[in-house]
Amino acid sequence: MSRAYRIRVRESIRRDLSASDEISCDLELLEILPPEQMRELLRQELQGRGFELQPDGKLSRQQNGVTITVDPEQGTVSVKAEASESVELESQREELGYDDFGPSEEQIRQRLQQTLNQELERRAEQHRARLQTKATEQLEGELADVQKELNQAVNRVTAEALKRKAASLGQIKEITEDPEQGSLTITVEV
Amino acid sequence: MPVDDPGRLLSSFGALGKDSPQASSGGDADVGSSAEEERSRIEEMSDSETPLIVSRFEANLIRILRFFLRQVPFEQAKPLIEGKHARPNCLSAAALHLIRDSLAKGCVLYLVRAGAWRRERFLRGTKAVEGRLWERTEPERLGLSFSGEILEFLLWVTANSPRETKSWSVRVEALTPADQLLLFLAYEAIRTEPDLVEGFRHRPGFVRNALCWLMYPGDFAFALDALPSLDAWMQEPGALILEAMQGTLLHRWVQIERNKGQIAHWDRMRQEGQAEERILTALTQAAEKAGRPDLVRFLLQAAGQVLSPPDMTPAFWIGGLQGGGPARLADRLEIQRAALSLLREMERLQRWERHARNVSFYDDEYASSQLWKSDWERLQGERITERARQVLQQLEPLRMQSGSGT
Repeated sequence: MSRAYRIRVRESIRRDLSASDEISCDLELLEILPPEQMRELLRQELQGRGFELQPDGKLSRQQNGVTITVDPEQGTVSVKAEASESVELESQREELGYDDFGPSEEQIRQRLQQTLNQELERRAEQHRARLQTKATEQLEGELADVQKELNQAVNRVTAEALKRKAASLGQIKEITEDPEQGSLTITVEV
Repeated sequence: MPVDDPGRLLSSFGALGKDSPQASSGGDADVGSSAEEERSRIEEMSDSETPLIVSRFEANLIRILRFFLRQVPFEQAKPLIEGKHARPNCLSAAALHLIRDSLAKGCVLYLVRAGAWRRERFLRGTKAVEGRLWERTEPERLGLSFSGEILEFLLWVTANSPRETKSWSVRVEALTPADQLLLFLAYEAIRTEPDLVEGFRHRPGFVRNALCWLMYPGDFAFALDALPSLDAWMQEPGALILEAMQGTLLHRWVQIERNKGQIAHWDRMRQEGQAEERILTALTQAAEKAGRPDLVRFLLQAAGQVLSPPDMTPAFWIGGLQGGGPARLADRLEIQRAALSLLREMERLQRWERHARNVSFYDDEYASSQLWKSDWERLQGERITERARQVLQQLEPLRMQSGSGT
């Protein structure tokens, strides 16, 4: 006569999860001055705003978990959010076996182990999805501020370029600037 | 002398190539001088009142061919396409004559109805010529030649049910533009029948067919790597077919854009958008390389029709998408951008116009530049591009505005 045995299996996994989200767009600069000069003005403006020049010529800055990268050569901007997390997941299951120790017990253990592994992988995937949502929300949350700041930077570059262009045309008599309206009027005597 | 009667073209259009396999299996039938005699005898017969006699299989094949050419209703052709019939060793001269006759008349009639009758301006060498297709082209250049691959296809489709996996071994590189036109007509004819279309669209003759891609890019989204080259379609006779089909292509692309708002699944939108993006890029690149901007005029017209209301928003294209879509903003944006691929092509067309402004009278591309500038102005390209740009900007979560100065 067989007796019931309680077979318990415990499994744990450790995963280093990472998620990222990134969008990019073109940064259009008006060709008021030659392209090299426009790019130089942009570099100076962005460095004044805390962007650091990278070895590859790009400028980048980190803020609130997102990295803003501007490539003045290509005229592109990318905003990237990254999130990472290490998770340790543990689970256990048990089942009753009615045979003596032997092949039957081994089969039950293998099945439980397989089920536990699948469950842990599923939970890890859920963690990864949550991490992804977090990264995307972080990115979406920063976009409005990034857009506002970069628009300001582009406007400043355009205004500076216009001033230089005007100076090259003749003598500047008057400059009227309204930062709120974003308008700039230059009177030049040629 | 201008020709107003498209019927006069029939003598120059549509002839099976001399290398066409007269025999259906292995091409082992000798159809030399005796076949020529037989052919002339048949042609004499066809001029008389006596009907030509063909076998049951040949009659089925001709009926299927005429269905592809829109001359027989689907109800008559369906049982013949779905059924299996024993393939004969060879086709009779009478059957070949009827096939040739059907191809010559049917393809020409299709192209005339599709738009060859319209008085339009297209490039002919170094100048733009206006008129109907047969008025702006010399008759000897209007010929369409079909290869033996088409006979093989007709034999296959008559002998087998397309649902069966038995392959139709086509040499895609041997297909002429006329062959591809007929294969496209065959595909379009059965496209609304899900059972039949599945048997067709995975076969190389269709998946590598430029006209199938141009008209139904979404159907071939599963095979983005199989995108055919469009270079051959920028030269005659392919270019003549594209000229004739401008109206059909315009109608189809307006339909494609209008139907996008009904797409609910993100994945389907991604597939369709990517396929459209690929074919549009391939087409415009080929046209640019060949100096034939006039052949993509339908894109400008299609965008003009779609963007005719001044207050269009991206919702017109992506408003039907259900649910939040992919978790990543980058993936969602990629799908949304792909959905608006036609609008993005407007930028390239505008670049052509800007380039055309700087082409002088002594440059080789003067005629094509003048024609494109005239098309651009007539179709209000500037307004279309500006509206397209506004819609595209609304889609971007990170909208960068360049400063404007006066």
